[in-house]
Amino acid sequence: MRAAVAHRLAIAFFIVQTVAVVYPGLVPFSRIEPRVLGLPFSMAWLTFWIVASALVLWGVSIVEARSRGED
Amino acid sequence: MERWHAVAAVVFGYLLVTLAVGLLAGRRVTQSVAGYVAADRQFGLITMYFVTGATIFSAFAFLGGPGWAYSRGAAAFYILSYGVLGMAPLYFLGPKAGRLGRRFGYVTQAQLVAGRFPSRAISLLFALISVAAFVPYLMLQMSGAGIVFSAVTDGHISFELGAALAYGVVLVYVLAGGVAAVGWTNVFQGVIMMVIAWALGIYIPTQLYGGIGPMFDRIAEARPELLVPPGLDADGSPWSWGAYSSAVLSSVLGFLMWPHTFMKVFTSRDDDTLRRTVVLFPTFQLFLLPLFFVGFAGVLFPTAPERPDWIMPHMILSSGLPALVVGLFCAGALAASMSTGDGLLHGAASIAIEDGLAPLVRLTDRQRRILMRGLVVAIGALAYFLAIVQKQSLVWLLLTAYGLVDQFAPPVYAALFWRRATTKGVLAGLVAGIATNIFFLLRPELRPFELHEGILGVLVNAAVLIVVSLVTAPQPEEHADAFVSAREEPRTVLAGAGR
Repeated sequence: MRAAVAHRLAIAFFIVQTVAVVYPGLVPFSRIEPRVLGLPFSMAWLTFWIVASALVLWGVSIVEARSRGED
Repeated sequence: MERWHAVAAVVFGYLLVTLAVGLLAGRRVTQSVAGYVAADRQFGLITMYFVTGATIFSAFAFLGGPGWAYSRGAAAFYILSYGVLGMAPLYFLGPKAGRLGRRFGYVTQAQLVAGRFPSRAISLLFALISVAAFVPYLMLQMSGAGIVFSAVTDGHISFELGAALAYGVVLVYVLAGGVAAVGWTNVFQGVIMMVIAWALGIYIPTQLYGGIGPMFDRIAEARPELLVPPGLDADGSPWSWGAYSSAVLSSVLGFLMWPHTFMKVFTSRDDDTLRRTVVLFPTFQLFLLPLFFVGFAGVLFPTAPERPDWIMPHMILSSGLPALVVGLFCAGALAASMSTGDGLLHGAASIAIEDGLAPLVRLTDRQRRILMRGLVVAIGALAYFLAIVQKQSLVWLLLTAYGLVDQFAPPVYAALFWRRATTKGVLAGLVAGIATNIFFLLRPELRPFELHEGILGVLVNAAVLIVVSLVTAPQPEEHADAFVSAREEPRTVLAGAGR
């Protein structure tokens, strides 16, 4: 995958995330059940996005480092 | 020996170590303005990581976050959402801004914006808004230090004296060492904060309720409204989705626009260091979870603190922990307050000089450094005075400050990404945005959908910027291009473009 493509996918991911953590995207997930690891679902949902962001950013940085290696 | 004596001993020990680290670090940097402000652009990954994390997590996260979770429940979750989204743009625009900084010798974001849009008025406005936004943020940090001292010593050290002690130490090392001292003390303080937060966040719910899951079971039964966004307002009535969502969005937009945060672009050694800091950033964000756990642990606890912002020390004191642990918590919370407060003090003073005064008056390197130090003291004193008389919640102080820094977002993004933007457009947008922000801050009942005043300001700011830019003459293509498509240049060229 080229770095520019990875960048675009990451930006799309962050836009989806922005919608998912405010009104109206958050409304369906603003609930207590089902509980995840003891946390209310709303808290787990918002935590999920933090962890997913870490993975996405990490992935982009790997793609970028590789594509620079090829130059 | 009484218990609070032992606590105070741990805290004073901690303050001394911080002071020593700060003073030692400051001796290693060159005595130029670039050295004082940007630490010779020499921060490596580990320093950058902790500097960024420790600067961003402050008394706001350590005391204000639990305070909101305790009193307003899921309203506090807005804090979980904005950090990563606010930081992510740095991955994409940071290296570009950093290259421009190295090429033209910028050390502040106002210099970058005024470089693209040459105007003393823009530079001056940036300086004024920065200082105006830094003051409530500093007040928050100082209040945090005061709360910690007075709570854990049973009031033997007063709120006022506690805040003065902590910020006395900060003043000494900021004056002596500039940003290098700030960097190295933050590495030390970042580590203390993370360890303390997780230890307490797991210990307190486990001791009181038998675990984090069982704690939420009890809250779901007794106060279910606390566990679903948008949570509650300060008076206990439901908070609106408009207010919750725009608190997230205004913090996302303003996050990078904090001058002391944006300046990291210019202090980092190279693009890779900067990118890696962003990649690691979400790990810092997870550290909000244990802090919220402590706030939630207070919900069904039989006794209540004087004010919600005191819940963290209240829970620690009520759970019968040994004096050493209480002292370490105190150190962690002070670290959180001081590691942000030092950057704010330093940032406010350097921006007032670099962007407010330098474009108007000719100053020698030596005069700038002397003025900067004088301003550090003056701004610190002003924030201290306001902190001891004000009564707002810590989170409210920060949200208000965010409204102001949000107004930097349209000019910064326009400078880096929009060729057609003009100086007149940016200036008109900035003035309109600030006016809108201040209007709705003073008349909150007029806000549509209870939207945050910062977001309302940005909407007006961006609209005016676009319209005025389109009806004024475009910038010379070559000039706009140098900023919008700033490519990596060969090292030899960079070395020749002296700064």
